Amino acid sequence: MASASSADTAGPPAGPSYLPATVQGAVKILVTGPFGVGKTTLVGALSEIAPLRTEEVMTSAGAEVDDLTGRPDKTTTTVAMDFGRITLNPQLALYLFGTPGQQRFWPLWDDLSRGALGAIALVDTRRLDESFDVLGQLEEQRIPFAVAVNVFPDTPEHPEDDLRAALDLLPEVPILRCDARDRQAAYDVLIDFVDHLLSTAALELQR
Amino acid sequence: MSGPVRPYVITGGRSRPGRPALAIESLVSAVPAAALDPDLLPGDTLNREHQRILTLCRDLLSVAEIAAYLGLPVSVVRVLVDDLWDLGAVQVRPPAPQADLLPTTLLEEVLVGLRQLR
Repeated sequence: MASASSADTAGPPAGPSYLPATVQGAVKILVTGPFGVGKTTLVGALSEIAPLRTEEVMTSAGAEVDDLTGRPDKTTTTVAMDFGRITLNPQLALYLFGTPGQQRFWPLWDDLSRGALGAIALVDTRRLDESFDVLGQLEEQRIPFAVAVNVFPDTPEHPEDDLRAALDLLPEVPILRCDARDRQAAYDVLIDFVDHLLSTAALELQR
Repeated sequence: MSGPVRPYVITGGRSRPGRPALAIESLVSAVPAAALDPDLLPGDTLNREHQRILTLCRDLLSVAEIAAYLGLPVSVVRVLVDDLWDLGAVQVRPPAPQADLLPTTLLEEVLVGLRQLR
């Protein structure tokens, strides 16, 4: 078969998977992190549809994008973003956007993060340094976030305090753990994160 | 890849929608009459990509899904959906942070939904 294989939970897409007509609106959560950390895997474990891919054309003026040859004043690059969907109830849908964390994609973040409930920052503890940029960007943009350690078979055990210190995280940022391939574990991370957002929002209302 | 026509050709040179409200998660459905009644959208009002969106959105999909299924950049789909919206050819359901919905109420709704689905 030349066609791309689909997830074993779903048949090949015969056509678009539409939302029920009763749905009145959608919310979104970003799943971010460095290249290869498992963003699409996590999105796929949570999504009711096989993850879809969009490609966004990004134009940058100036010196920030330096890895593209060609026009000196203006460069364009294409950013692939995988996303998934969860119909939460007959009125509300949740979209999960796998958002590249590399600095050169930050021009997209303003737009993507507008209206987002928050972001889950996936971290691979075997290469922590690759997450520094994206965590800094989440803090800078004031996007509520949690860190989720994607546990790979050879991931060493790190005490949470060590990890928090290494990543220079504020005490209120939750550190969660999951195997991004596992649906239950992925749901637990998402539920814990939304629960955290809710307690933070409730606290702010009390002030 | 996004097909043989460069994005700025499809959108007539515009790169931003005139309306800021359209988000990547905004939900779009074609107004049935727009698909059925050619007089409502006369002549060359719509290009091929507009038509493809109308055909695709016979039921509800997000801007992101339209972009994925049609192989167009999200920014291009935004502009095209915005055109269709101006013409009354699509309905757009606003993303959920609606003014009358407290963030806690919304977050609770999300949490309840996720717990039921887990």
